[in-house]
Amino acid sequence: MESLVISSFIKDYPASVVIVNREMQIIDHSKLWLKELQNITQSPIGHPIDDLINHTSEEFSKCCEECLLGGEITKVIQKLNNPEENTQWLEWTISPWKENPGKIKGLIIIKNDITETKKKEELLLKAKSIARIGGWEVDLVTNTIYWTQVTKEIHEVPMDFIPNLEEGINFYKEGVDRNKITSLVSDAIKDGVPWDTELRIVTAKGKELWVRAKGEVEIVDNTVVRLYGTFQDIDEKKRVELKYEEVSDRLLIATKVSSIGIWDYDMVENTLVWDDNMYGLYGVKKEDFSGVVEAWESSVHPEDIKPAQEKLELAIKGEIEFNTEFRVIWPNGEIRYIKAIGHVIRDSKGNAVKMIGANWDFSRDKKAEKKLKNLLDITSKQNNSLMNFAHIVSHNLRSHSSNLSMLTGFFAEEKDNEEKERLIKMLCEASESLDETVQHLTEVVQVKTDAIDKMRPVNLYETILGVKKNLAVLLKEKNTTCKIDVSKNLQINAIPAYMDSILLNLFTNSLKYSSPKRPLIIEISAQRKGPHIKVNFSDNGLGIDLDRHGGKIFGMYKTFHKHEDAKGIGLFITKNQIESMNGKIAVDSQVDKGAKFQLFLEAIDN
Amino acid sequence: MKKFNDVCIIDDDHIFIYGIKRLFKEVNFGNDILVYLNGKEALNGLRLHLEAGKKLPSIIFLDLNMPIMNGWDFLDDFCKIDASELNDTLVYIISSSVDPRDLVRIKSYPIVKDYILKPVTANDLEAIQKEKVT
Repeated sequence: MESLVISSFIKDYPASVVIVNREMQIIDHSKLWLKELQNITQSPIGHPIDDLINHTSEEFSKCCEECLLGGEITKVIQKLNNPEENTQWLEWTISPWKENPGKIKGLIIIKNDITETKKKEELLLKAKSIARIGGWEVDLVTNTIYWTQVTKEIHEVPMDFIPNLEEGINFYKEGVDRNKITSLVSDAIKDGVPWDTELRIVTAKGKELWVRAKGEVEIVDNTVVRLYGTFQDIDEKKRVELKYEEVSDRLLIATKVSSIGIWDYDMVENTLVWDDNMYGLYGVKKEDFSGVVEAWESSVHPEDIKPAQEKLELAIKGEIEFNTEFRVIWPNGEIRYIKAIGHVIRDSKGNAVKMIGANWDFSRDKKAEKKLKNLLDITSKQNNSLMNFAHIVSHNLRSHSSNLSMLTGFFAEEKDNEEKERLIKMLCEASESLDETVQHLTEVVQVKTDAIDKMRPVNLYETILGVKKNLAVLLKEKNTTCKIDVSKNLQINAIPAYMDSILLNLFTNSLKYSSPKRPLIIEISAQRKGPHIKVNFSDNGLGIDLDRHGGKIFGMYKTFHKHEDAKGIGLFITKNQIESMNGKIAVDSQVDKGAKFQLFLEAIDN
Repeated sequence: MKKFNDVCIIDDDHIFIYGIKRLFKEVNFGNDILVYLNGKEALNGLRLHLEAGKKLPSIIFLDLNMPIMNGWDFLDDFCKIDASELNDTLVYIISSSVDPRDLVRIKSYPIVKDYILKPVTANDLEAIQKEKVT
């Protein structure tokens, strides 16, 4: 009865159990055991176990023999390499059973599939080795240390190396690192505090390495008896990290010192981030704006927003490298020139995902560039006109000096007193002409390059009235009508003396070349034209045949009227004076209808 | 020494005109002397000359810088006169200009025989006379 109960108990046992006699013949088994055996058609009772389990190992057989001879419960782990299936791990628990005390009648064998556990364990080991994580343990009672293989590898010591606690600590780099670990370990022993730190060790082969050391404590009866933990080689990662920190520290200093702003545009998240320097460049405070885009749009010069945005879009499309300039208007109204560059980061499909860029203020360069360009402009113009000037000087002086030398030659030979008197008259005339020419040339030379520095706001209307007043007698003589249509508060940026000279020249020009057929009418008007004030100065005089003379009208010593006063230098000086004030002059005329001069002068905003 | 029948001077400087006339007398250069004060006057005068059935002067002394119409403009118009009527007229430029651009430009006018830099001397005139003979 008892045996039946046991038997039925075994049948339903929720594990794979088989019971054999001393001859290793099966006398009972659990249902589960039978189920796991394949291709069994008849009851296995009475059959030798080896017939049914063809994969038993030598170790298994040996254990069974030992167990039958009076051994203890034994566990055998067996690895099955099934060619078609995955590797299988089995754990056999072998235990003797006795009928009478002391007499072993057979064995109880429990089979346990531990493949899953075993796999996890293997994976963990592998992971630890790949991650270079080693383990260690310090038994404070016996004062022995245990290092795993990886820990030994990290320390570059032979596999049979057995350290003690002091030796272990001495692997840490002398100084900060060793002091730190010493205090951590002593704190752990004293107060039971675990640690997790990153320090440098010097391996047995003298290599310096960054490691992450973690330590836990085991406390029994308020005493720390054991320390254990992990030991990881993080050298590569740490060095990259340190390098990165160093680089970004340097970058931070560099950008701060040079006031370079860095921006970062995440297109996936649609966020734009500015560093603090960016706000500095735009002269605004971070807290005054709800977002970076708003700050940008409200700071950039309205004319420059669109072009900059277009450039950005082209850069995102990959058509250009982002490299542009724009103006920003500071809250105090100051205009600054900002240079912006950016780099687009793309995913593997080439889609733009991110953009990183920099901004910097190059107002100073821009100003210098403008000044340089201006200087170059003036210089090349000046150079050109100097070249002409030199030839004109040589021509004009020569023509008088040759006359003088010719006349003195005649004078020396002349016997006739009447003729001598004539020669003296002519000599006087020639020397006067020479003097006059020299005076004109001096006037031309006075139009200097540094004229710009002397420019100041000039009221156009008042200047016109002043010049008109000086010429009042001459204007009245010719019965002149002056129609002046110029706003009374119109300001131009000019050199006052030049403006007087220019207007005087234009007035006298009109007076000199007025038509004998009709009373002279002079009309002056002015209006704003972009950055300039355009002044129209027209008369109804003789006019100029522009087809014939258009190209040379502002040249030196070119006159177009049969008029004794016509020396032709006036318009040349006028043109030079206007150009040295960054202006322009143009002429339009029809013969016997009149002449119209257009002056473009620098405007000043009221 | 050859004596020219008709000599023409185109120059706005009356001192120069006085001087060259005096030199003409000195070297016995020419008989009739035509004087014009600028290119325009010269063109009109010479045109009237042709219309009256007279020959063009055989030698013209031309200044470059003159008011109303300068020497270059005169040359441009003068070249348009029918070659058969030019009567071997030779043009001498007489100027104070030493601008190399002027010297280059002169080469583009075949009618211009030479360039004489002011002041003109008796030697210059005698050289022209000799050249014309040989």
